[in-house]
Amino acid sequence: MLAQRLIDALGADAVKMQPEDLAVYSFDAYTDGSAPSAVVLPASTNDVSAVVKIARECGEPIVPRGAGTGLCGGAVPIEGGIVISFARMNRILELDAARRRARVQPGVVNLGVSTAAAPFGLFYAPDPSSQKTSTIGGNVATNAGGPHCLSYGTTVNHVLGLEVVDEHGEVFKTSIDRPGYDLTAALVGSEGTLGIVTSAWIRLMKAPEAVRVWLATFPDVESASDAVSSIIAAGIVPTALEMMDAVMARAVEAAFHAGYPTDAGAVLLVEHAGFEDDMDAYEREIERIAKEHGATTWRAARSQAERDALWAGRKGAAGAMGRISPNYYLQDVCVRRSTLPKALHAVEEIAREYKLTVANVFHAGDGNLHPMLCYDKSNPKEVQAVVESGNAILETAIALGGTISGEHGIGYEKRDGMTRVYSTNDLATMARVRDVFDPQRRLNPEKLFPTGAQCAEVKPIV
Amino acid sequence: MTAESLAALIAECNRDGRAVTVRAGGTLSGMGYPPDPDALQLSMLDFDEIVEDAPADLTVAVQSGVRLRVLAQRLAAHSTHVPFDAPFANDATVGGTLSAGWLGPRRHLYGRPRDFVIGSVAVLADGTIARAGGMVVKNVAGYDMSRLYVGSFGTLAVLVQANLKTIALPEATRGFLMRLPEGTRARAISHMHALDVVPAAAFWIDGFKTLEGEDGIEGRLFVILEGSRAVVDRGTRELRAWMGRAGVPDTSVIDAGAREAFERIVDAYVASIGERSITYRIPAFHDDAIGRAMALQTLAQRFEFRTDVIVDAMNGDVIVRVSDLDAHALGAKIEIFDDALHDDEPEAIIIAGNHPSRAVLAVWGSAPDALPQMRALKERFDPKRILNPGRFVAGL
Repeated sequence: MLAQRLIDALGADAVKMQPEDLAVYSFDAYTDGSAPSAVVLPASTNDVSAVVKIARECGEPIVPRGAGTGLCGGAVPIEGGIVISFARMNRILELDAARRRARVQPGVVNLGVSTAAAPFGLFYAPDPSSQKTSTIGGNVATNAGGPHCLSYGTTVNHVLGLEVVDEHGEVFKTSIDRPGYDLTAALVGSEGTLGIVTSAWIRLMKAPEAVRVWLATFPDVESASDAVSSIIAAGIVPTALEMMDAVMARAVEAAFHAGYPTDAGAVLLVEHAGFEDDMDAYEREIERIAKEHGATTWRAARSQAERDALWAGRKGAAGAMGRISPNYYLQDVCVRRSTLPKALHAVEEIAREYKLTVANVFHAGDGNLHPMLCYDKSNPKEVQAVVESGNAILETAIALGGTISGEHGIGYEKRDGMTRVYSTNDLATMARVRDVFDPQRRLNPEKLFPTGAQCAEVKPIV
Repeated sequence: MTAESLAALIAECNRDGRAVTVRAGGTLSGMGYPPDPDALQLSMLDFDEIVEDAPADLTVAVQSGVRLRVLAQRLAAHSTHVPFDAPFANDATVGGTLSAGWLGPRRHLYGRPRDFVIGSVAVLADGTIARAGGMVVKNVAGYDMSRLYVGSFGTLAVLVQANLKTIALPEATRGFLMRLPEGTRARAISHMHALDVVPAAAFWIDGFKTLEGEDGIEGRLFVILEGSRAVVDRGTRELRAWMGRAGVPDTSVIDAGAREAFERIVDAYVASIGERSITYRIPAFHDDAIGRAMALQTLAQRFEFRTDVIVDAMNGDVIVRVSDLDAHALGAKIEIFDDALHDDEPEAIIIAGNHPSRAVLAVWGSAPDALPQMRALKERFDPKRILNPGRFVAGL
């Protein structure tokens, strides 16, 4: 019944029902979920509307999915349902270079936007590490960040308007330029629980005339994070300020030969983009602060190739983890920037307590930590230790005035952590928004909100 | 007053079904429909505390009644700022600026006010105190409730506190004033987008005689450059060269007082002339703003209105103030003019005007696209419609 209706609406080649096909969609980059009832590959907004209407009539939940690079189960079905894959809605519909904006379908790959905009001297600023594969739709759903959101802001700062299919299958549009409620802001980061984005107007930025990348090494993580806090406290916000600890730097160097010193306790990667006129002054000031905090080496990437090599190491860090451990759990928390040294120290203590190796690679300038906890999936004790230490890191972040996700999202994995950062009233206020857009909880159910047992007021109103 | 006492008061109003009009500095009172005269007048000016100033984090938490000038002075002590660019900063408040969804001229460079908001405390119509976000600069835990309140004109919740990102103050600011001779306007303005050193603000002004400078045949241009001294010096050379090519003979430089001159222009956006003016804001693009501004001038001339115009050449905003000899003369024609203007510019909104007939004009322009969703949100947050009733777009 469901299968036939979907095939009638979209055509047989746009509907997957075979178990071996469906199984693929029960994972993202980290989390295991359940297999969906069906996977559809719409080619248009009308297709998406048709699918939502059919799902509604058949009582099936909807799980929108981009490239599946998420780490919290946001795009994974928990109780079956129809997965809407945007693999075929991958066109840049309009690129208005003069007005520095583009309208893109949700399946467009993040990096593809900057590639298309480059001939006009423009780029799309949000750059999650997954940018070679992750899609704008997924980025919008999670309000994705990346190293350069330190100065450019996250996805919400770059979305001008959305076309959305609602829970009835009807289309509505949002714009940040019109009076009324900022539904764009509500939808960005809502993880597919308020509507299904079928196109987005996004802002393009003028490429800077000068970019410099510097690499500083420190004897330990504490001195490096002190340097980061001091750079920010001096009012300097570089375009990126990224840190790796010794474990990570060695793995990256072994994998990519990026030129990272392997004997350093911590590596700081700093990028500043802007006017050539300012670069020497920035370089002097950042170098001074770094050395004041004990930097043992200081290097400027002199060429584009050198810059690219340094960045390739950073962006490929997660991929290098295979050299250290058969499995790793990547945590994502954000703390106040001035508490970075304390937070890193606490992470180290937690890893020691649970006898786990931890590798750190993170957006230091934002206070956005990404500890990677190494373990062996086949060892139940280690699995348990990872779960407990992951929770301990969340608690640490909260105790330092931080939050349980800086950029990866809540999804299925962290939803019960929401009660640790927000009161019942705060969550119930968010649930009011959900009540309006998805009263039946059919849009990406079991995500973002804590389970009802932990938060009685945050239940559907119907 | 505390958030708790405010919550108790609003909950009581909600029980009684009594309307509440939320006010602060009153600087944007020319936006929206006039408030319900029978509503409880709730002033947020007592909420004037800087809750936490965290320069090492480049963040600040302020109560909504904090004046923009007070905030600016506090932040300037550690060389940071929050560039909201709202008019009359001595009186304007953080909460009022955010709630009204004010968009300033430097947003193309620094971002919109909403982009600086990282957390909030708000009181809902039923007295619930709701917190969102926090003091971290990246946070994707849950819906972005804080930004939903920004621009909601106080109709979803009463904003009590806003947590903000701050950014470094530019080292140098320099202003430039140019009279535009005949045949220079189009080129001079289009050059603003060709400059390597992108102006922090660039205004084409026609009229507004109380502001700096005098109009040439084609009005005048006021440009602000900001950044390091080296960049501002480079931008100065570049700007002069491009203006020379555009046929603009003289460029006067304002170093001391450039920021004040800039602020006076922003003030002019909402400056009314007694009861005899109405000011419209039209969201255009930078490449069609001048054409649309001039079309509106022509329309206003047909109605024998006087016009004062500011075009934000970087963002494309068109500000047109129409006025007549007295309130009576304005009132006699303004309704028909308002219809005619909205025929051409359906998205034009009114941002200032004390004339009584403002109540019957299309002050918010055409209804937004997602109106049913917005109405449903209003119903879910304020079912008795006690918060700022009748003031916002399409009855929200």
